[in-house]
Amino acid sequence: MTLQDLITSLSRFWAVRGCLIQQPLDVEVGAGTMHPETFLRVLGPQQWRVAYVQPSRRPADGRFGENPNRLFKHHQFQVILKPSPDAVQGLYLDSLRACGIDPAKHDVRFEEDNWESPTLGAWGIGWQVLLDGMEITQFTYFQQAGGIDLAPISVELTYGLERIAMHLQGVDDVYDLQWSAAVKYRTVRHQEEVEQTKYSFGMVDMPESEFSAYHRTLFDQYHHMAKTLIRSKLVLPALDMCLKCSHAFNILDASGGIGVTERAAYILKVRELAVAIAGAHLIGLDKEVPGVSQG
Amino acid sequence: MYKELLLEIGCEELPASWVPPLSEQLRTCIGIHLKEARLGFQTEPESFATPRRLVVHVARLAERQEDLEQTATGPSVQAAFDATGQPTPAALGFARKHGVAVGQLVQVQTSKGVYLSCRQKQRGAAARKVLAGVLAETLRGLTFKKQMNWDARLNDGRGEFLFGRPIRWLLFLFGGRVVPFVIERSGLALSRGVAPVRAGSLTYGHRFFGVDGKPGRPVRVKSFLEYEKALSQNYVLLSREKRRSRIESELKANAERVNGVVATETGESTLLDEVPDLVEYPSVVTGSFPKEFLALPEEVLKTTMIHHQHYFPVINKQADLTEHFLAVTNTPRDNVSAIARNSERVLVARLRDARFFWEADRSAALSSRLDRLDTLVFHAKLGSYLLKARRIEQLAGLVAREALGRVELAKNASRAALLAKADLTTDMVGEFPELQGVMGGIYAREDGECEAVWRSVYLHYLPIGVSVEAAPQPSDLGEARGCWAATSIADKLDTLVGLFHAGEKPRGARDPFGLRRQAHGFFRILVDLPELVGLKARPELGSLVSAAESVYEVSLSQEIIDRLYPFLLDRLRFVLEQRGHNVRNVRAVTQPLPSWRQIRPLDVRRKLEVLPEFTSSADFLQLAGLFKRVRNIAKELPEEEFGSVESGETEISDEPLESAEAHLIEELDRRRPKIEAVLDAGVDYRLAFAEAAGFGPAVDRFFTEVLVMVDNPFLRRRRLVLLKRLEELVLKLADVSELVKQK
Repeated sequence: MTLQDLITSLSRFWAVRGCLIQQPLDVEVGAGTMHPETFLRVLGPQQWRVAYVQPSRRPADGRFGENPNRLFKHHQFQVILKPSPDAVQGLYLDSLRACGIDPAKHDVRFEEDNWESPTLGAWGIGWQVLLDGMEITQFTYFQQAGGIDLAPISVELTYGLERIAMHLQGVDDVYDLQWSAAVKYRTVRHQEEVEQTKYSFGMVDMPESEFSAYHRTLFDQYHHMAKTLIRSKLVLPALDMCLKCSHAFNILDASGGIGVTERAAYILKVRELAVAIAGAHLIGLDKEVPGVSQG
Repeated sequence: MYKELLLEIGCEELPASWVPPLSEQLRTCIGIHLKEARLGFQTEPESFATPRRLVVHVARLAERQEDLEQTATGPSVQAAFDATGQPTPAALGFARKHGVAVGQLVQVQTSKGVYLSCRQKQRGAAARKVLAGVLAETLRGLTFKKQMNWDARLNDGRGEFLFGRPIRWLLFLFGGRVVPFVIERSGLALSRGVAPVRAGSLTYGHRFFGVDGKPGRPVRVKSFLEYEKALSQNYVLLSREKRRSRIESELKANAERVNGVVATETGESTLLDEVPDLVEYPSVVTGSFPKEFLALPEEVLKTTMIHHQHYFPVINKQADLTEHFLAVTNTPRDNVSAIARNSERVLVARLRDARFFWEADRSAALSSRLDRLDTLVFHAKLGSYLLKARRIEQLAGLVAREALGRVELAKNASRAALLAKADLTTDMVGEFPELQGVMGGIYAREDGECEAVWRSVYLHYLPIGVSVEAAPQPSDLGEARGCWAATSIADKLDTLVGLFHAGEKPRGARDPFGLRRQAHGFFRILVDLPELVGLKARPELGSLVSAAESVYEVSLSQEIIDRLYPFLLDRLRFVLEQRGHNVRNVRAVTQPLPSWRQIRPLDVRRKLEVLPEFTSSADFLQLAGLFKRVRNIAKELPEEEFGSVESGETEISDEPLESAEAHLIEELDRRRPKIEAVLDAGVDYRLAFAEAAGFGPAVDRFFTEVLVMVDNPFLRRRRLVLLKRLEELVLKLADVSELVKQK
């Protein structure tokens, strides 16, 4: 099964089960959780089901396109079911079957792995799903987002698309994956991995100190605008700015421009934004006319 | 009459480490709540657990509650009836409260007189009626390290019901019939797909395997016997013992097939303790990786296999790692080869990463990484890890020379301390944080540092490491024995003194810098110095703290000292109490007297080892009983006055001695040198305590016959000085007044 077939299979599987098929957020993020379809939708009482692919950037994981498993950018298939249905584990296993993985022929495990995002003020209880010892999905019952206790509880399923595709295709190097029947992953993405890694690690025609100062300034400017947007009650643009802060911070971190204490201070700043955005969004939800939830 | 009770709480996968304790909790918890509900059992509850189910079985549980007889005492007869014999409002009220007529009340004789009393007998209800309440209490009573909201509620008046993981089914049978019980769901969550969990008579087997190849189907059962049978047919081994022994024998057999042995781990919780709680139906598969990866350090291979993948390494007859590994799976045996191939691929990918880190890290010597430590902040007020490395370099030398009295250790200890933190900048430690220290040691060895240095770096976090709690064994320490002690003490001491100086202090459950663990490690070395590393030194707490202060070039303010030393003494007490020493004895020998600075942790331990031999001897108890009085009276003598007497500036009265006074002076003169000799040598505290016990009769006689607080100031001073001298001497051993039972 090609990578694009895998995406199609998962999309079809979850669409049939009532999920809206959304599109990726067009801002750099580290995980599908940061998409408003997750971060904001899990807040408040409305029931909601959504699925989407989210390209996820992790500057520190960049390996110049040389590591067979690690990527600057990987792809997550993200599913949010709110509230979490009782049969969710069974549904999830059915989704694997739909992709051609028969759990009875493998060793599929749900091993404790609670998830926490300090920058989003979010945490949940759950597992990493292991397929013959390989982590293929993060399975989380959200408990808090933006520092707010959630009710009802949403479940988040985050599939690692590259890993599942590697398993299905039996390849050991991500760049050998068939993206489509005719085109390999290498052709689609290798150049991006090389260049983005160089950028993330500050290997550019600019002195190290200037590189780091530039990103600090970026962070501050995004931070300033995020605060402005929060005051102006523009929740979605504020979230964009908050995520841009987070990404600028990730680049600073990857390029070695931050010490440990400073690091904690940056995380706190992003978290404060996330908490304020979540709070502002909830106030907005209260004012909405009831009955907008999905049928 | 008795019937069988069976409860199965069907959960989504519980964390492995919770499973055995939850099984135990469930057993005790249901026992307690059955008793509270007055339901007797002829057989004790027995419990079982797998990652997906918590089970309790009571073979013979009473069908009815025991009857309840209650007696309430009301007003006295005198107050209950007026002069004409009519009941007073007090009597009427009492009868009304219990729902009876005054005529039904009886008169009882009590020590205070005759009172009205109401005896009521409440017939026990059928067990079926009260079991739902028992289950609610039991579910509430289970505790988890972390619990979750899963939109559940109980009808027990408390509403929201948190649990470790969502509950998906309840099997709840009494005498073969379902006991009605329901876990409700919150209004916000109720929807298609979210429903209350109702107790029933159904159970479920293994998630993926079932009898006739139909997994996941519910099976109806009526008894524990049927239940056990249904599970074993459906690929669930309910008994943890069975799962574990099956794993053990399969591991052994698989290892033998590749001419190897399963590598055993040291440490408190091993992989073999964990895997039985990750699976319901274990099998073992054998995999292998290309031999070229065996060039990686053993520690890296083991960490990758054991901690990251839960695989058991296989060693050969020479105890060297081989290219084989064993994985415990949650499957029957027939589809293992595909699993083995996939597991190999996952492991090889990880090993390839590890090899990349290994090669990258070794491109530069460990010592050349020190500069990079400058970018790692140790603490905002104390600077970077580079500063820390420089400080402990100096401090380890000081500790070796002064506290341990071994000049020849100083050079290597300083070198080890300087390098100890350098591995924090390596890629390997970035990827495997649990290998910090260990990797530094390995890289130091590769760089050609001498054995004392590399082993000291390797082990410097112990006895409180990231994953290993135990102190290193002599075989681990090799030539590093004394050097390791100096390095390890210096690291912990620097952290403790520095962070207290920076205003950090553990508060309640908050100890972000792990200062308590640091202190435990510090004391666990100090109290065992001779046994651990063969050194005779008995460092005093004050001199160690002063050494750290001198390296920091600060002197701690009184305020900080007043925070630091009670913390240290508390931790010392904790370490000693954990070894099973009596709490009162520990308090007696850890009093900060004359000052916390003079406390020698090693001596404290030695005192404690002999103290129990005395705490029941009559003489010793006599001294202990009188010692509080000695201490109280001695307070009447101002310190400066005592000082001037002891320095000879002030003469003491030469009026004739009373005989009891003379006797105590004699005793003191006779016993003091022996006690002081022991205190100086730090050995044979048995002798010192025996001498001290000998003061008992003399002190008793002194208090009986001599008045201390006489009007004559000279006489009074002389007697106070005598008591003060006695007090000071005994306190050097222990504050024996702590040993008297509080009444």
